[in-house]
Amino acid sequence: MDLQAAIDVRNLRRVYKTTIGVFRRKVKEVVAVEDISFSVAPGELFGLLGPNGAGKTTTVKMLTTLLIPTGGSARVLGRDVVREADAIRGLIGFIFGGERGLYWRLSGQDNLRYFASLYHVEPQVSRKRIPYLLELVGLADRGKEKVEGYSRGMMQRLHIARTLIHDPQILFLDEPTIGLDPVGARELRLVIRDLQAEKKTILLTTHYMFEADSLCQRVAVINKGRIIALDTPEALKSHVSDLAVVEMDVFGMAPDVLERLRNLPFVDTVSVENVDQRQSLRVQTRRGSEAVPDLMNVLSGLRVGRVVVREPTLEDAYVRLVGGAE
Amino acid sequence: MIPRRWLQNARVGYSAFVMTLRMNAPDAFVLFTILVQPLLIAVMAMWMLVDRGAANALYVVIGSGMTGLWSTLLFMGGNSINWERWTGTLELMVGQPTPVSVIVFGKNAAVVFQSLLSMVGSYAVAAVLFHQSLVIEQPLLFAISLALTTVAFVSFGLVIAPMFLLSPAVQHFQNAMEFPIYMLCGFLFPIALLPGWTTPISYLLAPYWAARALHGTSTGGASLPEVLSEWGMMLLLSAIYLAVSGRLTVLMLNRARADASLRLE
Repeated sequence: MDLQAAIDVRNLRRVYKTTIGVFRRKVKEVVAVEDISFSVAPGELFGLLGPNGAGKTTTVKMLTTLLIPTGGSARVLGRDVVREADAIRGLIGFIFGGERGLYWRLSGQDNLRYFASLYHVEPQVSRKRIPYLLELVGLADRGKEKVEGYSRGMMQRLHIARTLIHDPQILFLDEPTIGLDPVGARELRLVIRDLQAEKKTILLTTHYMFEADSLCQRVAVINKGRIIALDTPEALKSHVSDLAVVEMDVFGMAPDVLERLRNLPFVDTVSVENVDQRQSLRVQTRRGSEAVPDLMNVLSGLRVGRVVVREPTLEDAYVRLVGGAE
Repeated sequence: MIPRRWLQNARVGYSAFVMTLRMNAPDAFVLFTILVQPLLIAVMAMWMLVDRGAANALYVVIGSGMTGLWSTLLFMGGNSINWERWTGTLELMVGQPTPVSVIVFGKNAAVVFQSLLSMVGSYAVAAVLFHQSLVIEQPLLFAISLALTTVAFVSFGLVIAPMFLLSPAVQHFQNAMEFPIYMLCGFLFPIALLPGWTTPISYLLAPYWAARALHGTSTGGASLPEVLSEWGMMLLLSAIYLAVSGRLTVLMLNRARADASLRLE
């Protein structure tokens, strides 16, 4: 147990139970989080990175006292998340991605005023803090309007202001930029960077690699409920430093061609993303640009668009880690 | 010296009260249960009793007003926690430091306060449409009874809200719970007209004592000791409801945290 840590997680586990069938009902167990351990230092911006359904949100909900773990333990600011939940709640702030979680018939300002009272912020403090926060998240000129008229990005920014209203020591941001347009997402990342500069402890979950790369000091990669890597973004990238990445746009590629690419001796991993009519291929290889002619041979007869050879990123390390875990 | 925590909770309760008033003000369903439904009941009852004098008219005004009070509390107060789940704010409500029952108290208080309009509406129907001269016989006692009625209804709503969250099966009976309470509490006619075995059930319901106190003090048919005993029962049952609801809310929330049902996915 790390007594100095802001967040300390030991062998945390969470199982969901669902029932199947109408007459002969069977209980099915789904393991969302399986034996994870990590700790976050005070003032650290820690990332939890993983695909959808990896267990990120479940982990955050257990740490924010909203979900009781099935096994293991977790302490936030030295307090147990199950036995001392009440003591933790006033010290942390959290947001979950999406539009829900606000009172749409109230104005942004009234939402903040209400949450300030829930967190026992003195009225004279909240009177100064609400305009400051609306300014911080770029909603100063829209604060008096009802939330139902806000865009998704504005709601997400209001969530950030809402979670800062009581000046919490730790922030849990669960996919805060999900669904935002690129400009809105970038603005939100700037706000998160400002919070980091204020030495707030932040646990950020995301499935955007560049977001984790640009913001987090350390990243835990989580897949199927287990942490499969935990290190700084640079150290995670070093897992693939010996590789180059060839990106190719292909049209109408059959599954057997993909299999032939994967079987090439110099190819490490191949991932495919379908974008409109084309398939965007990402091939990790030790041979760099020298591999391109051989790759083109396999793709002969197909229409090939853009071909780019580049250095690996955190996303490539992630693809390798998650791909290797499957 | 009032403990700091009490002051903080009182402030939260007040905020929840104001927030709910603002949220409900433009809600068509609230307007229907507060104004339209009690007025329909008042009009029908007045037609039946219009020839029997002002005392009966006053009984109808108070009774139909109380039906509005109960219907609004049942649907709005009863769903006060569930509604937060539907809108995705229940996790925020649970994840903050104030006890959830304090927030629900403030929300229910707003609902009951709004539904007092039902009585004003019923009064207007009797006075304007049926030309009844309605005079409250014991205004001071009536005012105190009305204040205690508010407390009794708010406390009663606090018991219902966690039950509706604890079990969706209970909520299926929500519509069916509306009329039995009208009858068991004697809103529109005395419970003496009901079978004798229902009387103990009525005695356990604070709204029954509220209806007795309001009917008695408005028509002048109740003695002071009777009114005092009705106030005592309202306060006693309200205290029991508060104690039960506090425990029930904690139980319900712990269960929701265990089975991951704080949020609808």
